[in-house]
Parts: sequence; C-alpha cells; structure tokens
Amino acid sequence: MERPAVSERQPIDRRAQVIRAFTLLGGVYFFLYFILPETAAESLGIKARHEAISNGFIVIGAMAVGLGLFNLVSAHGSRIAFARKGWAYSLALLVGLFSMLAVTAAQWRQSLGITAEARKAQIVGEFAQRIVQDAESHAAAPALAVRAAALRAYADGLLDQIGATLLVGPPAETPLGIELRAAAASLRGSLPRLEAVPGESLSPEGKGALTDVGRAGELLSAALGAFLRQESSSTMVQQLYTLLYEGLFNQLGSAMFALLGVYIAAAAFRAFRIRTVESALMMAAALIVMLGQISLGQLISDELPAMRQWLLEVPNSAAFRAIRLGASVAALMLAIRMWLSIESGSFSSRKR
Amino acid sequence: MGGLEHATPGILLTIACAAVILFVQLRRATRRGDHFIRRIAGVDAVEGAIGRCAEMGRPVAFTTALTDVGPVLYACLGVLHSVAKRVAQYKLKLVVPQYSPEAMAIVEDSVRDAYNDAGRGAAFDPQSIVFLSSEQFAFASGYMGLIHREKAGAAFLFGVFAAEALVLAEAGQQVGARQVAASVSPEQVAFFICTCDYTLIGEELFAASAYLSREPVQVATLAAQDRVKLLFAAIIVVGVLLATLGALAPGITLPSIERFFTASWSDLL
Repeated sequence: MERPAVSERQPIDRRAQVIRAFTLLGGVYFFLYFILPETAAESLGIKARHEAISNGFIVIGAMAVGLGLFNLVSAHGSRIAFARKGWAYSLALLVGLFSMLAVTAAQWRQSLGITAEARKAQIVGEFAQRIVQDAESHAAAPALAVRAAALRAYADGLLDQIGATLLVGPPAETPLGIELRAAAASLRGSLPRLEAVPGESLSPEGKGALTDVGRAGELLSAALGAFLRQESSSTMVQQLYTLLYEGLFNQLGSAMFALLGVYIAAAAFRAFRIRTVESALMMAAALIVMLGQISLGQLISDELPAMRQWLLEVPNSAAFRAIRLGASVAALMLAIRMWLSIESGSFSSRKR
Repeated sequence: MGGLEHATPGILLTIACAAVILFVQLRRATRRGDHFIRRIAGVDAVEGAIGRCAEMGRPVAFTTALTDVGPVLYACLGVLHSVAKRVAQYKLKLVVPQYSPEAMAIVEDSVRDAYNDAGRGAAFDPQSIVFLSSEQFAFASGYMGLIHREKAGAAFLFGVFAAEALVLAEAGQQVGARQVAASVSPEQVAFFICTCDYTLIGEELFAASAYLSREPVQVATLAAQDRVKLLFAAIIVVGVLLATLGALAPGITLPSIERFFTASWSDLL
C-alpha cells in the first residue's frame, strides 16, 4: 500500500492520544492487580497502595459532580434570565438547590463543631492509653509522673469548662444531660488516682489508674457528643435541614416510588390483554406467581405455591442467567476493546 | 463471581481465550468484512421512531438512566451517536436527560461529534444534555416532567435501570411517544416489554450499535462475543455431563469444571 503524501495525512489528535495513554495505563494497573495472585500483589507492594489508588479514582469521580452542578445552573439560569418557557420551574429548582446547599453546608459546619468538642474528651482517653503504651514499650518520652500530671491538668480544665458551660440550666436535667453529668463525675472521680503513677516505671496501680481515666474519657466523649447533638437539634439550622431533607426530599422520593404501584397496574392492564400466544403464556405465568404468593392461592390449590416456586427458580432463573451471561460476555469484549482503544468512530468521530 | 479480587488461573485462561477470539475476529473483519448480523426489530424501530418525530415535529429523548462510565455506557453511546446524527439530519430537537455527571461529559462529547458528522455542528445545543439529578427518584421525576413538557415523539431508554424503569417508560407512554428500550438489568425487562413498543434484551443492547453502524470493529466484537458465548455454552454442557457422570458412577474420578474456575495459584503450585 502506498503511503499517503504528508499533506494528505490526518492531523495527529494529541487529546485523543493522551486519553488513550491514560486509559491504557489505568487498565494495565487494574488488570495486573486482578491477574496477580494475592501473595504476589502483597510482595510487590501493590496491595498496600491499592486502596489509595482506588480512592483516587473515587475522588476524580466526585469532581464530576461539579460538572453536573455547572450544567444545572447554566441550563436553568439561562432559562430564567431570558424568561423562556417554563422559567418558573427552573426558578423553583435553583431556589431548592441553593437552599439545600446552604442549609446542608451550615448543618455540616455545626456537626464539625460538635465533633471537635467531643474530640476534646476523646483526647483524654487516647492520651491515657498512649502513656501506658509508651511505658510498656519503653519509648523515649517525658517522665511518667509529668505526663500523668499533664493529663490530669487537661482533664480538669475540660471538666471545668463542661461544668461551667453545659451542665447548667434546663438542658442539664434531660436524660442526656444527666448521662453527661455522670460521665463527667466518673472522670473527675478517677483523676486523683493518677497521683499513684510513679515517676519511673509503670506500676500495676498506675496502669489501672490510667486505664480507668482512659475509659472515663471515652465515655465522656460519647456522652458529650450525644448531648451536643440533642442541643443542636433545636437550632434553626438543624430544624431547617430536617424539614428540607426528611420532611420534603425523602417524602417526595417516597411519593415517586409509590407511583410505581399505579404504573404497575396500568402496565399490567396493557400487557395482560391476550392477543398472542406469548402474551397468553405471560398472563398464565403471572397469574400462577401472583396466586402462589398469597394465601388465597393456597385455598384454590395446594400446588400453586410449589408451581410458583418452580416458575421462579427454574424457567425464570434460567432466563435471567442467560441474559446476564450474554450481557457480561458483551461487556468483557467491549472492555477489552476500550482498554486497548480499538475504536474506529463508533461513538466519536475523533477516535478515528 | 461478584467480589473476586484476584483472578484464578482458570479465569485468567478464559479471559485470554476471549481476547484471542476478539483479535481473530477483528483481523477477519478488517480483512474480509463478511460478518452477518441478523435482523433486530427493535433496532430497526429506532429509525422509524425518529422518522415519526420528523413527521410530527416532536423532539426525540434519549436516556442512559443510571448507567455509569463503563462498557454499558459505551454500548449506549454507539446508539446515541446514530440517533443524534439522524436527529441532526432531520433538524429535530434532541433531549438527553442525565443521571451521572461523569457520564454527562462523555455523552455531550458524543452528541457533539454526531452533529459534526452530520455536517450540522452549529446546530448542536449543549443544553440538550440536561443533568437532572444523581438521586434515583429525583431523576425519575425530572425525566417525567421533561417528557411531558417537551411532548417527546420518541423516547429511547438504553442502559442500566432499576425501580425507576417503569416510571420513565410510563411517562413516554402517557405522551404517546414511540419507545424503544434496551436494558442489561433482567429485572426491568418485563416492565419495558409491558410499556415500550420495542425492547432489546441484555446483549442486544451491545449489538445495537454494531447493527446501526455496520462498522467493522463493532461487528467483529459482536462476532467475537457470539463465539465466546458458544465457548461458555460448551463449558456448561461439559460441566453438566461430567457432574451427571460423577453422580451416576461415584467410583470414577472426573475432572471438575467448578474446580477449574475456583482453584487458586497456590492450589496448582
């Protein structure tokens, strides 16, 4: 075959080449990960990095949400701006979108604050555990007594702060408030035992004191988190979030799902008109399955539930498996073709 | 084999066989191009449905529903490209409601290319690719609203569907749209058969693109997948025979097909 003249050759599509290179490299990685035995993947260090790499792909996917948002704002924004047909629907959509975004962001910020407060108490537990671990492993660290004193000072400060700000007024008398008070009292009660922690090696008494303080810190963290979440449930942000998400969004989703019942009846009415042998077969099978499912079917015949079971497990499963096998084989073929970029203008002229 | 993290030697050998069959068919298609594709009524109906829209002056809707980026989406894009090209030639309006933002970018590119191929690149409207929602029922309600407002003359439902399948198909039915559905989700096929004019089942979705384009690479893939399916059918028959023989004559030790696929590298070495 004669080579085409330089002027007749297609220009090199750098964009397509970059896409193909990335597709091939990504495919090579996942293919290698799949075909390598588990032991080989571990010894090559692929297994340890696999989660991080997979998370990277999820992050790229999450970025695409921005594309969706941009499309929504651009499509509906222009409809409102030029007062095109249906602009009111677009306005409702954008108002809903931005209200939900704003309220969710505020609620997220609030929950971050709660987590940060609960974390302060969690530090008490973690610090106590760390002191024990360091002492047992003889790790280089300040003297035990110094660390125990620092832990006690931090815990005392935290308890004073909780006592002064949270355990006052009516909220402190609620069940969660009482639980928080009990957790705080338990931690305060365990703190004097830290004096038993010696300066050099860890004694059994010292270890017991640190373990008790650690447990009390964890309990306080859980109680504090629950108390603060209860406190925040009465804030305007949380109430708005509950109204929009649970009161509206979830209910609208349920309403759409409920529509299925009506549509199934309408579709069944159309499908079950016996016009051909196939529709007669479908009608008969549907009748057996429906009657076999309910107690009325058993009244008609004891065999109906068994017939229903046979229909579902034998012909139905066989058909499902055949469809799945065919689709999976086709997907495998397409995946190999995509991976190696063996395309010639199937869905994009640029890939020629 | 859901959740399989590492291939067993048997699975690796099967994938290798599939790849070899694909390459042999690709070579044959590019050299001789003599593959035959049987008639698929549902795919023939695609052309008719677009023609009907041209007569009625109504828009065409195409959705890939819950399909994410993957082989199924690429199979749908083959059909979308053909539909969009025809829509561009007939100067019709196309609406492509989207569920997945990742897929949306690829879909937009594909539709733009189809308009360019039809020589009507300037007529492409990026806003015809509408992102609705990544929430299943929010997407379904958005689709219903869109189909009712636009009074679509034809609706093509290709890809992965779940419980919203019937809601989408009923919306098209209510506005009298000619509907062609293709799904790899067997649970939804029954709903589509009840509601749509034509339904492509399972792998027919993958065949549709090759059928419409008659493009050698796609036709070769179709031929290869038929041969791989034959291979699997042979494996199933051999497996059933071996298992039956094993049950009839317990004293004879026969090779196990199940063991061939499940034995790990450490079992072999």
